[in-house]
Amino acid sequence: MSEIEHSNEDSIPFYPDHVRTEFYVVLGVLVVVLIIAIAGMIKPIGIGEPADPLNTPQHVKPEWYFLALYQILKKIPPIVLGIQGKIIGVVIPVLLVGLIFIWPFLDNKPDKSKRIYWIRLAFVIVAVITIIALTIWGEVS
Amino acid sequence: MKFSRKVFFICLTMLILTTVLLTTLYTQGRAHQLAISSDTPTSPDWGLADVDLSAKNPVVTPPPPTEDTCLSCHILGQNKSLWTPLARWILFGGLGLVFAFGIYRSGITWVTKSPWKPLTNRAADWVDDRYKISEPLTKILKKPVPKYALHWWYCLGGITAFLFVVQGITGIFLAFYYKPTPESAYSSIQYIESQVYFGSAIRAIHHWCANGMIVICVAHMLRVFIMGAYKRPRELNWVSGVLLLVFTLVFGFTGYLLPWDQRAFWATTVGSEIAGAIPAIGNLALIFLRVGWNVTGETLSRFYGLHVIVVPLATVAFMGAHFLMIRRQGIAKPL
Repeated sequence: MSEIEHSNEDSIPFYPDHVRTEFYVVLGVLVVVLIIAIAGMIKPIGIGEPADPLNTPQHVKPEWYFLALYQILKKIPPIVLGIQGKIIGVVIPVLLVGLIFIWPFLDNKPDKSKRIYWIRLAFVIVAVITIIALTIWGEVS
Repeated sequence: MKFSRKVFFICLTMLILTTVLLTTLYTQGRAHQLAISSDTPTSPDWGLADVDLSAKNPVVTPPPPTEDTCLSCHILGQNKSLWTPLARWILFGGLGLVFAFGIYRSGITWVTKSPWKPLTNRAADWVDDRYKISEPLTKILKKPVPKYALHWWYCLGGITAFLFVVQGITGIFLAFYYKPTPESAYSSIQYIESQVYFGSAIRAIHHWCANGMIVICVAHMLRVFIMGAYKRPRELNWVSGVLLLVFTLVFGFTGYLLPWDQRAFWATTVGSEIAGAIPAIGNLALIFLRVGWNVTGETLSRFYGLHVIVVPLATVAFMGAHFLMIRRQGIAKPL
């Protein structure tokens, strides 16, 4: 439990010092929100054509945060290793989320050195770049 | 820089931005008014949007949005409906209360010949006398927080939480005007965009903060991952955090259908099709999401219910657990 207690030198009280910092952050975000509001008044987001179930548009796309997943599904070959590609494209992301979910129980040894930080950072950078690339690819295709 | 100086500058920025907002509105309203006074003064009847209810999938043909933004009418002093008397009551009533309180305070100080005890102190004493909370409250408030928690990357989670609050408030405003039926969903969004006071601003905030919330939520998760803050004893915090990210994505997915335009309709069709491709439980998931085999008004109702009731409650519950665990265990110490 030594992690939980802090000595007085390297810590600040939650109130008022820490709350004050949070207050700055909230004010900063509020400024951004206000700018969005002004932009929204000048140029509303707008709304497309009304939904028409009988008329499929040419380019159907999900929201940008599902675009990478959608792109994988679109580009995966129909048959991979004797299984339908579509099923693989769906099952692997679900399994990945499951893996992320239980990750702390798999990687449970305490960090020994700074090196492990860099390994994880490199992993994250590669993963993020892959996802961004897939998203952009999905956006332009 | 000093605290007061910083707050002053931020408040000044917000004041300037507000002025810009109101000026834009005023000029826009002015232009609109000139355009309308030369045009026909009649406005479309929103209750009579062209709908064929007997059709299998009713489609709305909304009236053209040529209406004046009524906030501008109000600023120009034409629309004295509700806000003018309300603002008057608040302004003059508030001043009157302050004046009455001043007389009372002066009188009491003069009669008792003792210094005035502020009302906040009295209220605090009154509560503490009955519930004895000042001691535990002080302990909670004075809990030490490590100094390294002041780095900017530690506030990503806090920003996500704040954006959730923003989404809640703007979402409530939108829900006042939104109608979750295929006949009127589309036209109610048009109504929000063109008729409601600050409607387009509220919708813009809801839209962009939703996207920002996903970005910052993911950034927070990557920060925790890189620093290894998920390790013992904080496993459950990670698990609840992943669930919160999933909830955020569900928010995005369900909210995207609500405008009921072509983009929304077909994105949901595609999205639920992906869910339908999961082996074994795919069809169940598809039918649960769409309430049938196709995306219909039932789907819209279901998504609306999920978006405004189920997922917010679950998110609040898990956020509470997330915060309590952080509070109990402190912020993870970096190497």
